[in-house]
Amino acid sequence: MKQLLLSICVCSISLVSFSQSNVNSATFGMLEARWLGPGTMSGRITAIEGVNKDGKTLYIGTAGGGIWKSTNAGASFKPIFDRYCQSIGALAIDQSKPTVVYAGTGESNMRNSVSIGNGLYKSTDAGDNWTKIGLDSTEHISKIVIDPSNSNIVYVAAPGPLWSDSEHRGLYKSTDGGKTWTKSLYISDKAGCADVSLDPNNPNIVYATTWEFRRLPYLFNSGGKGSGIFKSMDGGKTWKELTNGLPAKPFGRTALALAPSAPENLIAIVEAKDTKMYISKDGGESWKEQSATLNVVSRPFYFSTLVIDPKDPKRVYRPAFSFSYSDDGGYSFAEASGEGGWVHSDHHALWINPNNTNQLYLGTDGGVYISLDRGVTWIFVSNLPVGQFYHVAVDNREPYNIYGGLQDNGSWYAPSAKPNGVNNGDWTAIYGGDGFWTVPDPTDPNIAYAEYQGGNMARVDLRTLKSVSIKPQAAAADGKLRWNWNTPIHTGQKNPKNLYTGAQYLFKSTDQGRNWVRISPDLTTNDKKKQEQDNSGGLSADNTSAENHTTIFAIAESPLDENIIWVGTDDGNLQYTTDGGKTWTNVAANVAAAGLPAQTWVSSVEPSRFDKQVIYASFDNHMYGDHKTYLGKSSDMGKTWTLFKSEEFTGFAHKIKEDLVNKDLLFAGTEMGMFASVTGGREWFRMKNRIPEYALVRDIVIHPKTHDLILGTHGRGVIVVDDIRPMRELAGETSNKPVHIFALAPQPIRDGQFGNGGFPPTGGWSAGNPAGIPPIQYYLKDRIMSGDVKVEIFNDKGELIQSMPGSKRKGVNKVYWNQRMTPNKSAAGGTKMDRGGMVAPQVLPGTYTLKLTVGKEEYKQPIVLVHDVDNTTYSMEDRLAQHKVSMELYNMQKDLNGLIEEVNGEQKLLKESGEKIKSEKVKKLLKTYNQSLEEFRAGLLATKQTSIFADEEQLRERLTELYTTIAGNEARPSNLQLERLQSLQGELSAAKAKHAAISKQYADKVRQAMAKEGVTTPALKTTSVK
Amino acid sequence: MKALKLAFLGAALLGTMTGFSQTADEIANKHIDAIGGKDNWKKIKSVIMDGTMSFQGIDIAVTTTSVHNTGSRQDLNIMGQANYIIMTPTAGWMYMPVQGQTNVEPMTEEMVKKGADELDTQGALVDYKEKGHSLEYLGKEDVEGTECHKLKLTLKGGKVTTYFIDPSSFLLLKSTAKQEVNGQEMEMTTGYSNYQKLPEGISMPMTISVPLGPGMNADMVISKIQINKEVPATTFQPAK
Repeated sequence: MKQLLLSICVCSISLVSFSQSNVNSATFGMLEARWLGPGTMSGRITAIEGVNKDGKTLYIGTAGGGIWKSTNAGASFKPIFDRYCQSIGALAIDQSKPTVVYAGTGESNMRNSVSIGNGLYKSTDAGDNWTKIGLDSTEHISKIVIDPSNSNIVYVAAPGPLWSDSEHRGLYKSTDGGKTWTKSLYISDKAGCADVSLDPNNPNIVYATTWEFRRLPYLFNSGGKGSGIFKSMDGGKTWKELTNGLPAKPFGRTALALAPSAPENLIAIVEAKDTKMYISKDGGESWKEQSATLNVVSRPFYFSTLVIDPKDPKRVYRPAFSFSYSDDGGYSFAEASGEGGWVHSDHHALWINPNNTNQLYLGTDGGVYISLDRGVTWIFVSNLPVGQFYHVAVDNREPYNIYGGLQDNGSWYAPSAKPNGVNNGDWTAIYGGDGFWTVPDPTDPNIAYAEYQGGNMARVDLRTLKSVSIKPQAAAADGKLRWNWNTPIHTGQKNPKNLYTGAQYLFKSTDQGRNWVRISPDLTTNDKKKQEQDNSGGLSADNTSAENHTTIFAIAESPLDENIIWVGTDDGNLQYTTDGGKTWTNVAANVAAAGLPAQTWVSSVEPSRFDKQVIYASFDNHMYGDHKTYLGKSSDMGKTWTLFKSEEFTGFAHKIKEDLVNKDLLFAGTEMGMFASVTGGREWFRMKNRIPEYALVRDIVIHPKTHDLILGTHGRGVIVVDDIRPMRELAGETSNKPVHIFALAPQPIRDGQFGNGGFPPTGGWSAGNPAGIPPIQYYLKDRIMSGDVKVEIFNDKGELIQSMPGSKRKGVNKVYWNQRMTPNKSAAGGTKMDRGGMVAPQVLPGTYTLKLTVGKEEYKQPIVLVHDVDNTTYSMEDRLAQHKVSMELYNMQKDLNGLIEEVNGEQKLLKESGEKIKSEKVKKLLKTYNQSLEEFRAGLLATKQTSIFADEEQLRERLTELYTTIAGNEARPSNLQLERLQSLQGELSAAKAKHAAISKQYADKVRQAMAKEGVTTPALKTTSVK
Repeated sequence: MKALKLAFLGAALLGTMTGFSQTADEIANKHIDAIGGKDNWKKIKSVIMDGTMSFQGIDIAVTTTSVHNTGSRQDLNIMGQANYIIMTPTAGWMYMPVQGQTNVEPMTEEMVKKGADELDTQGALVDYKEKGHSLEYLGKEDVEGTECHKLKLTLKGGKVTTYFIDPSSFLLLKSTAKQEVNGQEMEMTTGYSNYQKLPEGISMPMTISVPLGPGMNADMVISKIQINKEVPATTFQPAK
């Protein structure tokens, strides 16, 4: 029996392994993502810490884009946390040993869209490597402080989970540098620790604030009996609550600051029934209420930053909705000037350089700003591509445009490619507020639809940016319309004239939103208890439409039939119509039968483009504390469902996308990663290849013409994987082949798609362009460890045109052939670099052979090159004329190089032989000969130039100028260029004749004289005489 | 059946445990064995490597001459022009007309100090402790689809290099080096492939790749390696 079981077991293992795909992220090798950013509107910044000693090493923590490090005070940044959770709550640097850095994941600005962390990380090498050191279930970390007198003592304030009760909240303390943790202050499973400060003069004095808060999908509450301000005199062993002079409880969130240079001075902004500021001068033992401006006290759950200057206890900073500062210890506040330009609203982080307290770094909802005058004016840091997109869309222009809406940064569009690359300035803002769906009209290239929160949508004329509101209004019988914060706008996949949006009802327009028809009943559960948003906020009312619920969230018209429309709601309904909205069927119960919890938010719906019966959907249940990845498929119009399973999945799901060509290729974006399947969802893998491994992927689009995969991320801007066709091919049996060359479409011959304008971008974020010439792509099943990989191009005569080293990585490899011949090898010598040695003529249209050598194996495939018909200023005739002259010059260059090398050889021989000669007379003869050669050589190439800015010009330089101009331009040679060619041909012939004459004068004579001296030489004669 | 499961579990546990107990030294030693062994490497007194760096059909000839703890010299022939970099324990020179230099320039004291560690032809990992370097195991990290061992070597002079070592062959696939030069942090990533065994018993990568940007590499293909050939002292003296 055992034997039998064993053999069955082995059999099933081998069966499973046989059917399993071996495709994973590595398979896609060099198919790497391009980060489009932009940096013009950045994203929410949650933490900024700098190294006190140098004032220029900065760590920036972001809401959804990981950690970015600068070693030059912000001139440039690098992401240093791309393998981990991208939501950062707090950072801390051990200033006594600044290579030690702590990062707490999970932002604590507890808005509806806030992400979730997975613990605390530590680096001991300034951010190069990170280790997770615990607190995995805290979900949100708001502050980390290190005892300045003992770096092993670390406190971590963890407000804890936003959407559920949890014991993993509170103030944590470590006394061994983060190896072990104890809970120092714990209130309840509903109230966590929001803030912590140490008295720098006596670090046993610890202040902490606690906060009771909770979100439901439809309500937010800040405040409760668990909120308070606490003080410990013994390093967190015991605590007492501070109350003297503070308002009556309950509190909400408290922002607390102590003055580092006079730490008995404290300021607190206490959220209470009436939120006020309080000042203490005795270490919190007593407090005095102080009236303050609206900016200082408003929205305490979101604005929790309060900082006192490290040296001046009177200078207080309150980054909040806008930036306020006080010069009198908080008694009065002024607002920052707008002189340096607008500073984005909503501030969450501030670092003051303690060695130059004029220098401040501010983190806002729109990126980082620098001040050099104590916060009065600000300079925007435009090189952080951490924008938080909700959705992206594309149009059909060439190059196509990308549209998207961002958290607190409106709606924008930009070209996917542009001369000189896609830079900050190429982005155009088209609509304000929080941006969500930003959708081009597929039938009218001048129109896009955009919105701000709560369904406030408009039709925008892209030529003028004038907008017209198109938000549907409630008809008499409709009751109040309920619009999601992130209201869907959808254009028809089958009939592009159809425009849809949804409140609790689905609306359709066929005239660009001028008129609407309601085409559904209420498609939500219409659960009244989820509709009390007027009571949202807790102690401070907060009803910004962010909690609107029982609304439509996802709409999709079938790409196969405009009468089939699928709609998903935020309260768990998934409904479809097959008759354009006359009748609706709710399949929520069927998805529940497959294991989906009730009332789970439908985050996206994707009707298949291959089969009307097939529907994919993603579901998000994190608002009930459930972070599982729910992705489902039905093949029978929603009657039965399969939920996809994978060990790889992390994060709640935002989007599922079916490929446009290969039905087995699926993509999924979650709050913690981008995933793909090449087996129709049976197996999944995490996409890496320059996609941050835990990227917050909110939206996925595939461009129908360029085959680009476009990701809208909530923290890393737009990410594009250019041309995913190899993924489609690898979804079949191809991945089992040891080597495979991907099909090459006929390529137009051209020097890339664009010029570069002559100047590089001056800062900001530059995304570059897709490759200007399509790459040669091949697949290697395994990395080549021994043996070489080489790519060679042959013409139809079998002549080698160019040889290139090939990369050897596992998966897709790319090699770029510039569609040119091999440049002539430069002759040695001279004082100027031979620029002509970098240029070779472009080849002509025709069929070439690509030979890929992998170790000892060879693989061949034709490459068809065609004339670039898109370049209307350069005809095929022009090309032939250009090629003819280029080739003449190429051959002249080869001749001239030969001539120079001959002279070099002769001079070398004279020098070597001269050392063996004794006769002064013969020595003199050799010297004269060498001098003649040197004079001659000095006419062939620059030999005297001593500065790169002094242009010595000899024959090589003259030839190079004409050659590089003609061979490097896509243009018919001009009349004067042709004349110049003739004159240079004359010069080259004259030079050859001159060399022959020098040889004739000296060569035999010298050889005979040397022979008499007993020095025999190889033939000292020129070969260039014709 | 239970026994089978237990055996699997045991094996899995054992695997994990072995994984964790693999120290930096063990991996370094396995790597050194994979490239020919400590004894063979300690016999290397000089290395002369000829190679070509190719990009779009343009070839740059590179010759690297190193004598153990004595000097290293890189000659680059770029578009007909000779360029070189010389480093010895006490001085260094650069002559890079390609960068617009018209004279031989001595290296700064800082550069010489930092470069001194790199005159080691016997491999920095061989007897690293005696050489004053330190080594740390940083776990595993994916390198182009291979979960590599990650070793951080800090040279005596402060230069930090992270090695990514293939867990099955123990060959080096990639290194990243970080150094602060003239107040700037420089980072250099290098890929290694096509290991060939030389008659002296050591293995060396015949292709060295330097990334130029996403999806693009400049590859140097080594065509010839000469080991322990006499190198004249003048090699490490500057002459324009």
